[in-house]
Amino acid sequence: MPLIRIGIDTGGTFTDVVAVDEETGRQASTKTPSTPTDPAEGFMTGVRKILALLDARGQDVAAVVHGTTVATNRLLEGKVGDLGFVTTEGYAHVLEIARQSVPDGYGNSYFWVKPPRIVPADLVRTVGGRLAYDGSELRPFDADEAVAAARFFRDRGITTIGVCFLHSYANPEHELRMRDVLAREHPDAVVSISAEVLREYREYERSVTTLVDAAVKPSIARYVGAIAARLAEIAADVPFYVMKSNGGVLSADEVARQPISTVLSGPAAGALGAAVVAEAAGFGSVLTLDGGGTSTDVAVVVDGHPALTTEGSVGAYPSKIPMIDVVTVGAGGGSVAWLSPEGTLKVGPRSAGADPGPLCYGSGGAEPTVTDAHLLLGRIPPHLLGGEIPLDVTAARDGIAALAASLGLSAERCAEGILEISAWNQANALRQVTVTRGLDVRDFHLVSFGGSGSLLACRLVDVLGLAGVLVPPDPGNLSAYGLLTVDVRNDYVRTAVARHAVLDPGAVAKTFDDLTAEASAALEREGFPEPARRFVRTADLRYFGQAYEVRVDVPDGPVTAALADTVAAAFHAAHRRLYGYDFAGDARQEVEWVNLRVTGVGPIARPALRTAPPGTGATPRTTRRVDFGAGWADAPIYDRAALGAGDTVTGPAVVEEFGSTVPVHPGFRAVVDDHANLLITREVVA
Amino acid sequence: MSADPILVEIVEGYLTSVEKEVETAIGRTSRSPMIRDAHDYRAGIHDRRLRKLTGRSYSALVNPVVRDYPIETMRPGDVFFHNDVYLSEGGIGHLPDLCVTAPVFHDGEVVAFVQAFGHHDDIGGTVPGSMPSRATSVFEEGLMVPPIKLWDQGVPNEAALKIMTRNSRMPESLAADLDAECAACLMGARRLAELFQRYGRADVEACFDAILDKTTETFRREILAKIPAGTYVWEDYAEHDGVDEPKLHTQRITLTKLDDRLVIDFNGTGPQAKGPINHAGDYADGAFLKKWLAPILRNLADSPERMAELEVNEGVVPLIELRFPPPGTLLTPVFPAPTNARTFVILRLLGVLAGVLAKAVDGRMPADQETIRYTGVYGDDLDGRPYLMREVLGGGSGGRYYADGEDTIHVVPDSRNLPTEFSESRFPFVVERLGLALDSGGPGRYRGGLGYEKHVRMLRDAHFMSIADRSILACWGVAGGRAGLPFSVTIDPGGPGERDVDALADAEPVRAGEVIRIRTTGGGGWGDPLDRPVDEVLRDVRWRKVSAEGARADYGVVLRPGSVDDPAADEAATASLRASLRAARTGDEPFFDRGPGYARLAGGATSAAVDHR
Repeated sequence: MPLIRIGIDTGGTFTDVVAVDEETGRQASTKTPSTPTDPAEGFMTGVRKILALLDARGQDVAAVVHGTTVATNRLLEGKVGDLGFVTTEGYAHVLEIARQSVPDGYGNSYFWVKPPRIVPADLVRTVGGRLAYDGSELRPFDADEAVAAARFFRDRGITTIGVCFLHSYANPEHELRMRDVLAREHPDAVVSISAEVLREYREYERSVTTLVDAAVKPSIARYVGAIAARLAEIAADVPFYVMKSNGGVLSADEVARQPISTVLSGPAAGALGAAVVAEAAGFGSVLTLDGGGTSTDVAVVVDGHPALTTEGSVGAYPSKIPMIDVVTVGAGGGSVAWLSPEGTLKVGPRSAGADPGPLCYGSGGAEPTVTDAHLLLGRIPPHLLGGEIPLDVTAARDGIAALAASLGLSAERCAEGILEISAWNQANALRQVTVTRGLDVRDFHLVSFGGSGSLLACRLVDVLGLAGVLVPPDPGNLSAYGLLTVDVRNDYVRTAVARHAVLDPGAVAKTFDDLTAEASAALEREGFPEPARRFVRTADLRYFGQAYEVRVDVPDGPVTAALADTVAAAFHAAHRRLYGYDFAGDARQEVEWVNLRVTGVGPIARPALRTAPPGTGATPRTTRRVDFGAGWADAPIYDRAALGAGDTVTGPAVVEEFGSTVPVHPGFRAVVDDHANLLITREVVA
Repeated sequence: MSADPILVEIVEGYLTSVEKEVETAIGRTSRSPMIRDAHDYRAGIHDRRLRKLTGRSYSALVNPVVRDYPIETMRPGDVFFHNDVYLSEGGIGHLPDLCVTAPVFHDGEVVAFVQAFGHHDDIGGTVPGSMPSRATSVFEEGLMVPPIKLWDQGVPNEAALKIMTRNSRMPESLAADLDAECAACLMGARRLAELFQRYGRADVEACFDAILDKTTETFRREILAKIPAGTYVWEDYAEHDGVDEPKLHTQRITLTKLDDRLVIDFNGTGPQAKGPINHAGDYADGAFLKKWLAPILRNLADSPERMAELEVNEGVVPLIELRFPPPGTLLTPVFPAPTNARTFVILRLLGVLAGVLAKAVDGRMPADQETIRYTGVYGDDLDGRPYLMREVLGGGSGGRYYADGEDTIHVVPDSRNLPTEFSESRFPFVVERLGLALDSGGPGRYRGGLGYEKHVRMLRDAHFMSIADRSILACWGVAGGRAGLPFSVTIDPGGPGERDVDALADAEPVRAGEVIRIRTTGGGGWGDPLDRPVDEVLRDVRWRKVSAEGARADYGVVLRPGSVDDPAADEAATASLRASLRAARTGDEPFFDRGPGYARLAGGATSAAVDHR
């Protein structure tokens, strides 16, 4: 029986692979360069490499789970030119108008240049027929105009089309008829209708979400299809799953039904993996920090669940699809240090990336980066990936020394400054994700991972007053590991506006039943037997007149007036938690139900966490000259692989492993826990 | 001492983050829709010398607080409040802007201030919302509170809170908004105190100096250097004040570029209005207006990307000298002149500065935009419950020497329009059309952005309200560019009851079934429309932004008969029409085009003397 599950995370530079043998619990991980021109190439190299490590064959593979942002983002580029859009009469310019908002500062409206619309105005067609907000029909669907629109696109060779009619979240009838007309008149067209992509009110956002779905549908189907075909090289019918931005997975066969949900999957896997590791280590709520080459992603995990948002965007386009709320800052290992015209030191957001990369890679990089600063100070070893790639210390020093000279600093102080600025950039992002939710950053541990995520861990504890930092084993592969922990998860939503006082529990029950049936059908297609399917009901409520909603859980059981009151009470409480007040006792402030949601979950067995053998006392492998800010001194260097549970490393020290390094600053200590995590805290001064 | 270049970067990022955290906290915990949904609030961080350190947007001033409560008398836990326009040193423009100031302490001394103001929904006065469009004195506009100590060493002043909430039609949310502002400012003050503790006062203050010096240097090098030495004059107008019949309410700037600074002289500005469009600007050396106007200077930077990077903090102040006319003008009103609609003047002032700079730099400034006005309907909904729907509809921005103007945008960052799918579920009307007003963008080599065309069909009898300027005068075009179309409202267009509604309307009756058609302003055009490439005109036709008639009349482009989906130019007819249009010119056309409405208010004149270069 096949028992190996493989997670593959394709990044811009490296493809990370983790595999677990569910029988023996044995885990393995590896890395291979990504192959942007044909991502399937790097993907298959990774699969073969990991199978070789486990001494396994294709037939042993139970599932492959894939997450990527870079590959799908690239699919979006330049592909949206052939899109057409059909909308309600009177709304031909809905995309041009957008929400009338101008980003950022006061007065920017004078010079702001709107980015190009996802569909140019001449490829927007309108069709008569109008629904009201409750789904009732104000004017019938105009079939003649629908035919004219379909032929317009057919005659111009526009074969990817999005359809969004007003209030179709309440009644998809007109959109379904439009799709029928397109199928008849223009059978070659790939069509997305908004009622199937996102049944939620706000016409501009729903339109764009639907159009992104349509735009990526052909290319994602091709991408997933190509990888699935290559997988057949190792064995027939290997189950293949794709990560979604909401923190679930989807089988490759289902991708064509909801392509947009897979577009931003990369950061989600990391946050999920971090949540699993943290929970096992005893921390239900943590901040996560994924440090890569070009940028750093931060997120909040509350009670084991990464926080979700429906206010995200795909590239330049807003998308209301639920996604894990990740804030990205341009502060990674490749971030470039430069002098502003005013003579101050800046770090990022520009990155040298992997190509040409930092000076020390010796592959043509001409500007000093964060990685060069770490190297100069001895905080990382003079090689990458356990010695596979040597680093050029002299090049790093020369570049930073040149920058330092124009600032009147020594090379060491300049390097120190580069790292300090980089740490503050990350710290400010971590503050934003907590303040937005009314949380205090000092109450949290941070889980740091990714190739560069843990390099500044001690500085972040100091700058933010964090409780501590947890560094999982093999932190460079946590995103790939996260892919193995993910359930099948599908979200369904319907806007059904009703005041709580006159709510019809029967109507709510009917909508929940419909959504549950949809979710159940999808899980059935994924092969989950009925008893295994789980459903989570939530609702978005607001105070009458407000323009924003708060999401609360809807308990299991029949929808009765009493259950509805429980939900309303939960809404009052959640509103107070989030905004500091509520109107629970105020009869003038009515509660209104807005969106009903069902999430269908098909649980997947999570791999057992690895356990660390008991430690025998940490023994350094060697020493190296390291500058932790107070001048050069010999610091012990530890191999992480040689550390066991309970071993303690006291700073100044450096802990090294394949693909990642943890500098432990003076005044800090790192303790290995039972799952081989390093828990870094400030040393308590006796 | 000179600042550590690394610490400067850290402190600058820290201040930006704290400002954002304070604004996030206010947005999250306040209750007024104007704050929550329309984003009408701002935070700012100031040093002990009252200099604004952060620069994403304008904010109020600390000066009036320190004037009445000397710094050395302040104690930890004190929080100050004011909204009194005439005692705000020019930092507060109208009474609904409630301003809270918290001092930051280090080693027992005040080292900085965190300040925030937000537009609360009601602070009393003669009408709900405290913005009476026909007010003739500030006493009609609501409760005036000069700087007071709202919290005294951590203890809220119950008496003041009672008086203030008693005077609002929305007492609970007023109290909640004040709480939100106070809590957010105190949080910001704690965060700043941590900065001083971590790095020490001398080092942090050296960074403050460096941050402001940096802005001064950047503006000197990248902005002022672009303006040739000399003196330039221009003026523009508000068209009505809510009380008098429409007329030209002049705002004039005489700009003089000296070696080391700009002199902006407002002499020539018209007399104080009877209605509420006055702005009390002549205080604290115009410190508020300098920072309010400086964002316009950013248009002189090398690229739109660079313009967006430049921050306006106190560092711009040494570069600008303001000269005010004697008391009794639109910018120097005498108490108790009303001010609640002062946006008519201070938003226009941005355009006056843009225009006078255009004269100085050969037109390399954006043409005019007008992006704030209030329109709404109110009455009883289908369940018989009273409602008020009030929204801000943006307009088109002006053409630029590098790009067309943008359609339907709003000057206030992140302020959004109402989705039809929201408003139809909430109010008794159907939005039959939410589109762009065809041909509303001012013609030009770079066309002005288009305004809205919104059709609202009422399901029940209701009243329509509007507070808008630019309904007679248009957004001006420059450097050969033409004016956009002005704001207009028509009820029952094409029907038996068709009628136009004044731009200042409090209660225009609308019957069930009638459509209200609102068209907002198009931006002015930039450069000669006859120089616009034919392809771009054809694209605008395909995009339903310019009509076939507009292509001919405004751009001299003659279309062949056929569908607007595939427009084609008659090249010979176009060349000949463009030639004849050029030949008909006198060569003495004004540098600015104000549109046909100007003549109506200017005794038949088609341009002002200052409109020529």
